[in-house]
Amino acid sequence: MNSVVVLIIGFFVFFIGYRYYAKYIDAKIIKSDPKRTTPAKMYMDGVEFMPTSKNILFGYQFKSIAGAAPVIGPILAIQWGWLPALLWLLLGAFFIGWVHDYSSAVVAMRNEGASFGGLSYKLISPRARIILLCFVYFFLLLIAGAFGAVVVNAAIDQKSSPVAWLFFTIGGVLAGQMIYRWKKDIILATVVTVAISLFGIWLGSVAPSNNILGEGIANSRLVWAIAALIFCYFAAVLPIWRFALPINYVTSYIVFLGLLLGIIGVFVLHPNFTLPAYTSFDIKIGPLWPIMFVTIGCGAVSGWHSIVSSSGTARQLEYETDARPVGGGVMFVEMMLGVFALVIAGTIYASSSEYTAAIAKGPIDIFASGVGKFLGAVGVPDAFGRAYGSVMLIVLAVTILQLVIRFMRVATSEMLGDISPIFKNVHIGTIIASLLTLALILTGWWQYLWILFGGANQLMASMALMLMTAWLMSQGKPYGWTFYPMIFMFFTTTTALIVTSYRLFKQVCSGAVKGEALVGNILMILVGIFLVIAAIILAVEGIKAFSRYRALRTQPAAAVA
Amino acid sequence: MTEEEKKKRGFFQAIKEFVYGMAAHDSYRFAMKTRASMEHLFILITMGDMLGVPILPPYYSLRLLPYVVPQISTWKRRMLREKDFTDGLA
Repeated sequence: MNSVVVLIIGFFVFFIGYRYYAKYIDAKIIKSDPKRTTPAKMYMDGVEFMPTSKNILFGYQFKSIAGAAPVIGPILAIQWGWLPALLWLLLGAFFIGWVHDYSSAVVAMRNEGASFGGLSYKLISPRARIILLCFVYFFLLLIAGAFGAVVVNAAIDQKSSPVAWLFFTIGGVLAGQMIYRWKKDIILATVVTVAISLFGIWLGSVAPSNNILGEGIANSRLVWAIAALIFCYFAAVLPIWRFALPINYVTSYIVFLGLLLGIIGVFVLHPNFTLPAYTSFDIKIGPLWPIMFVTIGCGAVSGWHSIVSSSGTARQLEYETDARPVGGGVMFVEMMLGVFALVIAGTIYASSSEYTAAIAKGPIDIFASGVGKFLGAVGVPDAFGRAYGSVMLIVLAVTILQLVIRFMRVATSEMLGDISPIFKNVHIGTIIASLLTLALILTGWWQYLWILFGGANQLMASMALMLMTAWLMSQGKPYGWTFYPMIFMFFTTTTALIVTSYRLFKQVCSGAVKGEALVGNILMILVGIFLVIAAIILAVEGIKAFSRYRALRTQPAAAVA
Repeated sequence: MTEEEKKKRGFFQAIKEFVYGMAAHDSYRFAMKTRASMEHLFILITMGDMLGVPILPPYYSLRLLPYVVPQISTWKRRMLREKDFTDGLA
């Protein structure tokens, strides 16, 4: 099949889903009313609650949810064939993904902008709140491990990327200094610092890390893992305007430009898919169900989005009717990003054997080669294009990684601060988060780590859908559109976590895992088991809450009878 | 301005807002959060005067009071709202 046809099918699903399904739910079930006061207006404090234009929120939501996952997931999942991966991307986003993001925003908006802890306390039970917050902490740990591993693999596989990474860090810090300290014009600061970052990408392509540092350091996982965590340490402890924010600001232009030119490149080259549409149900990394459904997370459905939608976006919606474009619309855009990654993986190799050889080295090389090829179609030199692709991936991963480390530090302080005041220290909290992440990056098996992260991410989505269903039931509204996706996601993800933890456990027992790898893999098994147990307890609490709401609904009818 | 010009302007405005939202809206929010934490300090400084128990020499805190009073209602809401660490994620 031609890649342009796939993109057009993607746009068609986007159009139908957004224009008809989402509109129907928004108008007929949620009954969003532009005249009803939103929390942003009612509780406006100019800080967290603040009415904001839907276009700004669209950009904000996209930037907050688009990490490396919608790119890596489809590249890995094409091992089952491009057709199942494409179908899951399209149908997942159509029936579950947008429903999840949109309803998370709506429930928080209709509950005075409450965050997940407050919502689970109110809608499910007090115990549900504690378990959900513990669940979120370990979910964050898996995100940090998986995305940290992406950064390390990118630095090792693409020797051009470390120099570019250094330069966009310098550019970002300079941007912060120019804008906030020297009070320079923001356009001037942007042009200068984006130019520095682009220069870094070019310099990386002509002076790779192995030429500068030698093969030993350039190929050391320890060196790059520590580099990534030092980066995150600064992001976690320095004032946010000095490091994290300006770096995110500068790099967002790099990603945006790369995506735009890449999609134009696909239309210019319009290559055919060269990989098979379907390979086999059971492949090396696991069976199609449930493993493929967690390998592709963001792009189809992702629990991370519910946290952004509820804690961030819902408090800024100016009108209730903005929830559909911001919550639902952005999810469909991310679906298109996933389809774009699928097109890259499915079209750049001449045969399956070439792809198999490439995926054995990891998905980073595939993405970088693909971006290089499609940027080449618009006149960008191949070496620069490949370097650009690897930097895009590092940016997508490191943006989320530093955010997650920062919040693991906050979570450590909140959860353990009462036990000992030492945990309230910003450095201690950051070091704990960094060491746990380091253990996963250095000693965990990458593909299992990715699947566990995907499983936790989707399970988080299932938990969020449970909250939405409880709220819909409490309001007496039709709830099938969130209930059935919740059931599907719950069984798929718990099975995936159990299967992956069991496989890892078998490897540990058989002696296949030795030495330091034992640390990371045992940690992954324990986190996997904890997440499944937590999810089951939450499900039991959820069932009790559902019964309570159903009983409340049937009471008046019984009284009349 | 003709209808077409209005549409064109609206489109470019939407693009501008989208890029702003993606690149800079977060910075704005964090700047506001930093300002809010400074306001909390001012409220703390003037708390004595608000309660009628001067803690600082009244001259200074009374000079601050007019700037702090308009923030009291939003400050109370921020302080009393239930929070958890997911609040910090976005």
